[in-house]
Amino acid sequence: MTTKDIGPKNPVEQGVTQVVDFVDERSGVKNSGRWLMFRNIPAGTSWFQTLGFTAMALFGMQAITGIILAMYYKPDPNTAFGSIAHITNEVTWGWMVRGMHKWGASVMIVIVFLHMGRVFIWGAYKYPRELTWVTGAMLLLMTMFMGLTGYLLVWDQKAYWATVVAVNIFASAPILGPYIGDILRAGPEFGPDTLSRFYSIHMLLIPGGIATFIGLHLYFIIRLGISEPPWAKRALRVQRDEEDARRKAARNREAGLKGSVSFPPAWVDDEQEVKR
Amino acid sequence: MKKADKVAYDKDYAAAKKDGKPFFPYAIYKDTIIAGLAILVVIVLAITVRVEMGEPVNPASTDFLPRPDWYFYFAFELLKIFANQNALTPVIMATFMVPNILIILLVIWPFIDRGPERRIWKRPFAMGTAVLVISGLCYLTFLGASTPEGIAKGETLPLTGLDAAASAGEAVYLANGCSSCHMIKGVGAPGPGPELTNEGAKGWDNAKMVQWMKVPVAPMPSFASLPPEDLENLSTFLNGLGTKYK
Repeated sequence: MTTKDIGPKNPVEQGVTQVVDFVDERSGVKNSGRWLMFRNIPAGTSWFQTLGFTAMALFGMQAITGIILAMYYKPDPNTAFGSIAHITNEVTWGWMVRGMHKWGASVMIVIVFLHMGRVFIWGAYKYPRELTWVTGAMLLLMTMFMGLTGYLLVWDQKAYWATVVAVNIFASAPILGPYIGDILRAGPEFGPDTLSRFYSIHMLLIPGGIATFIGLHLYFIIRLGISEPPWAKRALRVQRDEEDARRKAARNREAGLKGSVSFPPAWVDDEQEVKR
Repeated sequence: MKKADKVAYDKDYAAAKKDGKPFFPYAIYKDTIIAGLAILVVIVLAITVRVEMGEPVNPASTDFLPRPDWYFYFAFELLKIFANQNALTPVIMATFMVPNILIILLVIWPFIDRGPERRIWKRPFAMGTAVLVISGLCYLTFLGASTPEGIAKGETLPLTGLDAAASAGEAVYLANGCSSCHMIKGVGAPGPGPELTNEGAKGWDNAKMVQWMKVPVAPMPSFASLPPEDLENLSTFLNGLGTKYK
């Protein structure tokens, strides 16, 4: 006697299954999700290759703590400092959220630089991952710019004058400099609108850019796959060519033909190499 | 990279993937552990090293220390290196040329280094560049972290021969944080501004100096908010440095 699968008996389970099936029927999310999670990555993937995910996790943490800070912060020259003092001294856990946001920025920059160093030293930016590197470079620049714009928001003397100097530097660039300075300052001088402009750039413009570029970066990583460590067991073609040349030279020496016979270049028998 | 190299790489990578492991759980568990550790570090730092409140902004008071956050120390130190403006090392090197060359190099690097080689010791050019840039950034950051921030309150300048106007100018100089960017006879920060010990040797008149204070060359901020008599005294003081006041 054959049994027919009628699904779970529990009505709650039934309901959930129905909703999931409804969404899946229209979006195909089950299949693509399964593909995304269970796609193969090279077996030798190393602990060094966790830094990109860590940078992304820290961006998420900065977003969450930033959203909480934005609930109390007032981007107005007259009230900004007071609202920071309110967050630090009065709001429950406020000092903690502010501390995490501040230290999170430093740790994120350290992690982003370590991530870039790993990719550089491994040569992981080479074909076919050039554009993954370019999108990553954009993310690095945007992360640095986040630090620059966030620094002003605490609205104390040190931050204010450091930002005056930083914006002067931008404004001193040839041709476009004066325009960039005016855009950053919201006018020719630091004024009442400068702070809210920095606030808007810091919490809307650049986070949007970073989220977009994280999306692009991930697209390339998932499409092209994560690179193998340079010490991976599977030798690259250049390495195999070297070994082939060495073997052939040794063979030639044994046969007493010292270097007088040329052999076909190794890529001629690529097919056999891959099997090896 | 040549066509044959690309084909070989694609083939090798496809084989590596075929013999590989699924992303979940083999990669994700490592990712989660390291990301969790990083967030733990942030939480521990937030608890142990509490954030402090600084002095509220007062645009009229220029008694300040324009120090960026630590990750911009390298840029700040670059300013100091190119501070003493002359034809050979103009300050635009630090504010524009060097940073932009670095940014362009960063973005186009994969199109410069295109060979198929990935082994670390077989890429001397790339590794040399890496060592140079990393040690340079670390050294400049360390310099930025270890240099003193201007002078202590109550400290004076070791100068003689000051008349009344110059003394008033010295007071303006000390009160407005000039020494957090400039040095006079070994007192004050060694940059980002140029040393002023022999400023008088330029032979500027007071009108020119006052105009400079109001509209200086970046990155120096404008001091147009100072009262006119302060600017006048400050100019008298600066224009005599190294000539009348030593």
